[in-house]
Amino acid sequence: MTADVALQSISQSFGTFRALDNIDLSFGAGEFVVLLGPSGCGKSTLLFILGGFLSPSRGTVKIGGRDMDGVAPRNRPTTTMFQDYALFPHMTLRDNVGFGLRMKGMGRAARNAKADDMLDLVGLCDKAGRKPHELSGGQRQRVALARALAVDPDVLLLDEPLGALDLKLRRQMQDELKTIQRKVGTTFVHVTHDQEEAMAIADRIVVMNHGKVEDFGVPEDIYLRPKTLFTANFMGDINRIPAELVSAQARVVHGVRPENVGLKGDIALGPARLESAAFFGTYHRCHFRSADDRSTPYVAHLALGDLPAVDAIVPLFASHVVALRETA
Amino acid sequence: MSSIERSERRTAFAFVAPALLWTLAFFLVPFGAMVLLSLAHLEGREIVQAYDLGNYIKIFTDPSLLKGIFVSLEITMTVTVISVLLAWPLAWIIATQVPARYQRLAIMLAVLPFWTSYVVRSYAWALVLGQNGVLMQWLIGIGLLDAPIQIMATRAATIIGFVHFFVMLLTLTIYANLIQLSPNYARAAADLGASGWQTLRLVILPLTLPGIMTGAFLTFVLCIGDYITPQILGGNNELSMPQLIMLQLGRRGDFPMASALSVVLMALVTLAYAATARWLKMDRV
Amino acid sequence: MRALGYIYLVAIFAFIFLPVIVLVLFSFQAGRLPVPPFDGPSLKWYAEVLNDRGLMEALRNSLFVALVSSSIALMLGFLAAQGLARVRLPGSVVMRGLLIAPMTVSYLIIALGLLSLFNGLGFRPSLWATGIGHVVINLPLCFAILFAAMGDHQKNAERAARDLGASELQVVALVTAPMLKPALLAAFFLSITFSWDEFIIAFLLTRFDVTLPVEIWSMLRSGLSPATNAIGSLVFLVSIVILIILELTVFRKSKS
Repeated sequence: MTADVALQSISQSFGTFRALDNIDLSFGAGEFVVLLGPSGCGKSTLLFILGGFLSPSRGTVKIGGRDMDGVAPRNRPTTTMFQDYALFPHMTLRDNVGFGLRMKGMGRAARNAKADDMLDLVGLCDKAGRKPHELSGGQRQRVALARALAVDPDVLLLDEPLGALDLKLRRQMQDELKTIQRKVGTTFVHVTHDQEEAMAIADRIVVMNHGKVEDFGVPEDIYLRPKTLFTANFMGDINRIPAELVSAQARVVHGVRPENVGLKGDIALGPARLESAAFFGTYHRCHFRSADDRSTPYVAHLALGDLPAVDAIVPLFASHVVALRETA
Repeated sequence: MSSIERSERRTAFAFVAPALLWTLAFFLVPFGAMVLLSLAHLEGREIVQAYDLGNYIKIFTDPSLLKGIFVSLEITMTVTVISVLLAWPLAWIIATQVPARYQRLAIMLAVLPFWTSYVVRSYAWALVLGQNGVLMQWLIGIGLLDAPIQIMATRAATIIGFVHFFVMLLTLTIYANLIQLSPNYARAAADLGASGWQTLRLVILPLTLPGIMTGAFLTFVLCIGDYITPQILGGNNELSMPQLIMLQLGRRGDFPMASALSVVLMALVTLAYAATARWLKMDRV
Repeated sequence: MRALGYIYLVAIFAFIFLPVIVLVLFSFQAGRLPVPPFDGPSLKWYAEVLNDRGLMEALRNSLFVALVSSSIALMLGFLAAQGLARVRLPGSVVMRGLLIAPMTVSYLIIALGLLSLFNGLGFRPSLWATGIGHVVINLPLCFAILFAAMGDHQKNAERAARDLGASELQVVALVTAPMLKPALLAAFFLSITFSWDEFIIAFLLTRFDVTLPVEIWSMLRSGLSPATNAIGSLVFLVSIVILIILELTVFRKSKS
């Protein structure tokens, strides 16, 4: 099952702190959406509002067209997968996964069968009789996923589900999450602060900062054509181009990614001195400083073989320059 | 083993040795001395070592002594159960219903009478529960009673005095257990469709079992070995084991019998530990 | 639900506070019996207990035993925790178990054991004998608190200090003790409280010089008196003042 989600002018204040400021977003049914931002940006608050654990100070949440105002978490077509998984330690995996079905009044035989199916989906059917403490971190994460999906939610909310895993396992679980999402077709809303994770799994990414939406779009757009300076910085390195070199407007800066700075290109950045360089396998990461009186720093990723000598002065060019708003 | 490791171990052992020696000399050896003494007999005013189990046989055949074991066990079990039943809701209310910034205050208030002296606490209950005490005067004042009823010098008084103390203790252990539970357990249960009552019964209560069992075991140990509360509040109508032990020591000077009773008391505590250890080991994630 | 919760809270707090309120209220009784009706307020019973030489002597004895036994327990417990936390010794589990064991044994049994031993050795009951007993009950407590507080970062900081040239004594004085200050204070004050309040060991192991709980016990045997309320209230007041000072200084700081 699946449903679309609409958030209409959502605001949330805690005392004088404004956690969310007039959020308008809509996600399609079956979409994998990632809420991305630094800690404290309001992404988890927004997820808790979707799940019904918080009611917003202002605004409307609609899931499948239905207004969720005053609807308790248990009555929402959402389930949440918590950051610490919140697996019940005194229950077996089967009982954990079957918990939601038991609450719906499903008989033991039927819910055990369904629980085993769900454990099968996440590749843990042989461990159904174990308890959570006997599992590794990655396995617990899968049980939590199975438990949340067992009740057939329309929308699955994931609160930094991979945050507790080490890097290698994390990358592996990303692919699994994506595969399972494709298989079940449920709308996934996934919170993370890891931009690589976001790009790897999202259909669309919402970039958030200080309780506002900075950007919303497919990963390619978010990375290559960010709308704001914050998004550009958060998604990777960005070089700011001095206003004189481009036709500048007020409150807009121009930026270029290091891989789009080179010895050829559309816009001349002028002569620059190579200060240091490091080898990164597929490219050289070079720190330049412009040789004019502005001494603007540039970071460039130069192809193997293009590396000038340190202290050499070479003409630098930029392509794919993007205009960035200074604020959202 | 490298020489660095060896010297580190030697230093470490030198650090542990004084505490070990103290425990050995003033806990283990005395305990051994007591066990030996329990195998002796009082003959006239002399203690004669016999290395037999006469005292133990007497404990389990003499009705007045055997009754002490049952009195102690009954009081302790009753106290433990009532205290858990009263303390759990209190700890839960403080942990979940009281606003976070008042919780520390609420807990400190809940255990405030800890800071009265232990002898004085039982004495204060004697004042409250006595024939002319505050409670009787109040119950007669509001017309619930015509004449005072006897609570002092009964088992009820002992139990009230004990429950008062152990409600405070259990509230602490259960509260400590409750606040270290992630709030996401309750959220996850609610999210999956559990009602408030179902969440409490199926998730929160089982998760506080370690706290309950730790507190219940402490209650058992402290309650069954306590002399003051039954002596001040319960009086001499029925004697608990500590009262019997003190009686042997005092009036009769029967040191060997007091020792044997203590060994039996110790055995009961060990049994209680064996019974709860299974739960104390409850796995947590 | 919430209203029901608060009703329960009020009811159980009433139960918890009832004896304390009665104790303090009737310490101000003017008459000879601490039972209703209340005919005070009067401070005469406070004057009486403060002028009672036996009580004041017992109070001094209690303080002495509490301070000496807690200091010894803290020192032994600290050294043992330091030793056992630092390296894996053969038999360290057994040693830990032995050090903790007295915690699960009734004070009455500890007292009786010591009495058997001291009788056998011909060692007379005294404040010193009581102090030895109090170290036995407080040592496991100090050890457990300090052992739990010694983590890996502690060990690493000590290693760093040794690496930078500190002697064993300097490591303890300049690194370990300051890092463990909250735990050390908590263990020390808990020990003081336990020793100060302990009855049965003091009762069996003292004879002429007694501690405060034993002296109060003998007051009780001559019947109910507002004097007992007064001394009880004084002890309570002092404990609360110490508790508030600790809360405002030590534990507030250690939290931040």
